[in-house]
Formats: sequence, structure tokens, C-alpha cells
Amino acid sequence: MKSTGTAAAAETEALPTSATKLRALLLEDNPLDAALVVRALFKGGFEVAADVVQDEAAFTKALRTHPPEVVLADYNLPSWKGMEAIKLLRAEGSDIPIIVVSGALGDVAAVECIRQGATDYVLKDGLTRLPEVVRRALREKKERNLRRQAEQDLARKVDELARSNADLEQFAYVASHDLQEPLRMVTAYTQLLAERYAGKLDANADKYIGYASEGAQRMQVLIQDLLAFSRVGRNGFTHGNVDCNSVLEEVLTSLAPAMQECGAVVTHDALPSVWADRTQVAQIFQNLIGNAIKFRGQEPPVIAVRAEPADPCWRFSVSDNGIGIAPEYAETIFVVFQRLHARTEYPGNGIGLAICKKIIEHNGGRIWVEPQAGSGSNFKFTLPGHGPDPADGARS
Amino acid sequence: MKLLPELLVVDDNPADVALVSEALAGGLRHTKINSVGDGVEAMAFLNRREKYANSLRPDLVLLDLNLPKKDGLAVLAAMKANPDLRRIPVVIFSTSQLRKDVVRSYEVGANCYVRKPGNLNEFFAAVKSVEEFWFNFVNLPPRGE
Repeated sequence: MKSTGTAAAAETEALPTSATKLRALLLEDNPLDAALVVRALFKGGFEVAADVVQDEAAFTKALRTHPPEVVLADYNLPSWKGMEAIKLLRAEGSDIPIIVVSGALGDVAAVECIRQGATDYVLKDGLTRLPEVVRRALREKKERNLRRQAEQDLARKVDELARSNADLEQFAYVASHDLQEPLRMVTAYTQLLAERYAGKLDANADKYIGYASEGAQRMQVLIQDLLAFSRVGRNGFTHGNVDCNSVLEEVLTSLAPAMQECGAVVTHDALPSVWADRTQVAQIFQNLIGNAIKFRGQEPPVIAVRAEPADPCWRFSVSDNGIGIAPEYAETIFVVFQRLHARTEYPGNGIGLAICKKIIEHNGGRIWVEPQAGSGSNFKFTLPGHGPDPADGARS
Repeated sequence: MKLLPELLVVDDNPADVALVSEALAGGLRHTKINSVGDGVEAMAFLNRREKYANSLRPDLVLLDLNLPKKDGLAVLAAMKANPDLRRIPVVIFSTSQLRKDVVRSYEVGANCYVRKPGNLNEFFAAVKSVEEFWFNFVNLPPRGE
């Protein structure tokens, strides 16, 4: 059975001036009730084009052939149930508002309808409420669509950003890799010149060759550092449970000569396990403790490594009694190739903290430096205590 | 009488070939160095074709990866597929530190992978160590006729 609401309604009343066109699908076995619904909508300012159906086959067919803006479903039908229509629509993932229109609907049934995905319900003796209910349902659907659109746009932008970051990584890696070959020739041959011809040309020549050779060697170190930095973001690292005690032990062994030289002492708590790549965790400790040794004050370095839980992470701290960092440099020290001291004062390229930051952020943590009472600096960073949780978020 | 060791350097960069020669010049082993500039030349040399008809099979190949015409891995693969050439040890000598280059080289049958050091003295030391290791400590297979 099919009727066009506009035709039926127009016989008796003139259309309100600014009528909103509405494609509706009515699930209704009673033609009179269908007419009343259409009329109520008409009076509320809708110019309705309605398909009226009363069983599943006709309902699904109408959904396909005339996709409605709203479904108005009677709760009790002789051959089908309004509830089934709700389930069917939502099972298809459809976002079309569905409003239950019923002669009588108990609280339990009403709640169940909403639970199954109905947008709202209207009793047949309160049809004057229907236009407003439809209007709100349409508005909410539009808002949902806008929100979904915004989410999709955002997801796409995040995607693009990730891709462009990956491109940049790749570029930095390839560039620094390919730069090495010609630079190696410059370095090798200026060195060869310096060795073979030292004292055989004039004093200026020796000096100039020295400058060229020094510059080339420094650039080589920079490129190595850049490679190391860009490698942090590349694949090839295996995440697992990393026992920080054994990592720290290895790091301290490798730093032992430097520590002995200045009488450095490193104390540490019992450290936890973190979810990360072992080599990268070692690099973090190596760089932070290495810095604490390098930037020492008059006294032999006293360095403390601690960890405290900050669920779901662990918060580590590496503090020292060294020369410290002025608060205004708390951010810049983590930027690639940022140095606070002349190369002659403290050697290095300013890559260590940048690598720490990159590793830590790749693992979802963060690193910062806190002012330390007295002297010295206190670096803090977080690392996840465990990997992605399986299914229900069970944690070990 | 013990013949002088023969080294084949496969490298398209004359500057590197010169550095290898410099590194071994005046050494005790008097290693004889031949060099070719691309992979196709390398195969011609090893198979003693055309102008290389009278050259000797090398005792060791120092092979760059990034070569014109036929790259280092292809040369390595061709050598390992040839019964006459597969016993000649191959030392990969490349600037590349790419994991995939290292892994592929060993997979295809490189005997070792030596990174070309940036520093002159390290470069010399690396080449001299290769010479010392392969021509002093290693028992090489008899040279093919």
C-alpha cells in the first residue's frame, strides 16, 4: 500500500509557507493512522513524501529504493514488530532516525526501543509532539554527520602528518647517508694532504689545510649524529619487557672509565621493567648519565637514578650535582644540535638529549628537566610499564 | 716459491682505489692490486674474458656495493653461483651502514662486511687489517688456474 501524504493533506489545508520537504518511511498497518501521522507532520511544517509499508519485505525494499530521512514505526503490527525494524535498521549500521509511533507503549517497551536504537517515541494520542521530535532527530543526525565528518577530516590530517613525518625521516636518512660518501673523500684527502705536505708548503697552507680537515671531520660527526637521530624513528627496534636494572648495569660498565677519571658515583633504586627497545633504553641512560659526568662542577659527580610508578608509566629521574641548566634553556636543550657551551668548553654536538627525547616520545613518554635545589640538574622521563593490553586491558 | 697475493678492488671511485693503494703501498706483503670500476668489468676480470684473458684469478675481492652497470650484490651473487669463483673470499667494502645492505651481503655469501671509515687513518687501518688477516692468518684455497 502506498500513499503520498502531501496529496492527501493538501485536499483540506493549504501548505504552511516555508514547508520542509521530508521523505518518510511509515511502518503502519492502519491507513487512517498513517494519514493522521502525515497530517500531524504537515501541520508541523513538513511537506511529507511517505512510503507506507507494513511488513519486513516491503520495509527493506523501501529502504533501498527510496532511502528515507526518517522512519516512523508502529510498535504493534499484525505481521511484524516495530522492534524488529529498529534492530534491522541498526544492524545494517544505518544512521536514519527511527521514531516509534504507538497507540500504547509501556515504560519497559519504550526503554527497550531506545536501547535497541530508536531515536524517540511518540504516542498516537500525542501526535502534535511529532513534528518537533522529527525536527530534533533530523538536527541531531546532521550534528552527528558533521561530527563524524570532522573526525574523519582530523583522522585524515593525522594520517597525512604521519606520512609527511615518515617522508621527512626517510629524506634525512637518505640525505645523510648519501652525503657521507663524498664527505669521506674530502676528509680522507685533506688528511692525506695534511700528513704528506705538512711543513712543505708555507705556514698559511698548513693552517688552511688544517681548517678544511677539521671542518670536514666535524661535518662527518654531525652526519653520523643526524643518522643516529633519524634512525630512532625507523623500524627495526623490538619492543619487549626491559629490565632497567640490567640495562643500567651495562651502561655503567661502559661508562666506567669516564666515571673513574673524575671519581663519579652513581646510586640507584631498584628499577622497574619498562616496555621498550632494550638498546634504546640503554641509550637514554647512557646519554643522561654521560651528560651528568660531562657537565660536572668542581666536585666529583654524584648521580642518582630513581624510578616511581605513574600508572600506566614509570617516572624516572636522573639527578646530578653538576653545573645545572638555567631555567630559560629547559626546552631548547632538547632540540637537535642545540648547545649551551662553546665546543672548546664541553665537546659534543648537542644530539644526546634530542635523541633521548625522540626515543621517549616514540614510546609514548615524555622528558623534561626540573630545577634542582642547590646546584645540578634533574632530568625526568616517563616510559610505559607494559605493552599494549590484550583485549580487556588486563595488566601485569 | 710463494706468489705475491692478488687483490681485486671493485670500486667506481678512483679516489677510494687510490686510498686502498696508498694504504698497502710499502707494506711487507707486496700485495698486487688490480682494480675495475664496475660490476660488468669485475665479471670480465674474474672470468678472464677479453682484455683480462691473461690476468690471474685474485685471492681476495674487495667489493664496493654501489657500482654502475652491475651492483656489488649482483657481482657477489654471480660469483657464488659460479663453481670457479665461489671459493674466492669476498670482502664487502662500502660506505653504507644500512641494515639491509649488511644483511643482504651476508645472505648472498659475503665473507665479511667492512664499512669504509670516514677518517683517513681508520681507512688505512681497515685496509691493512683486511690484508693482514686474509693474507697472513687465513688459509686461502689454492688459486684457480
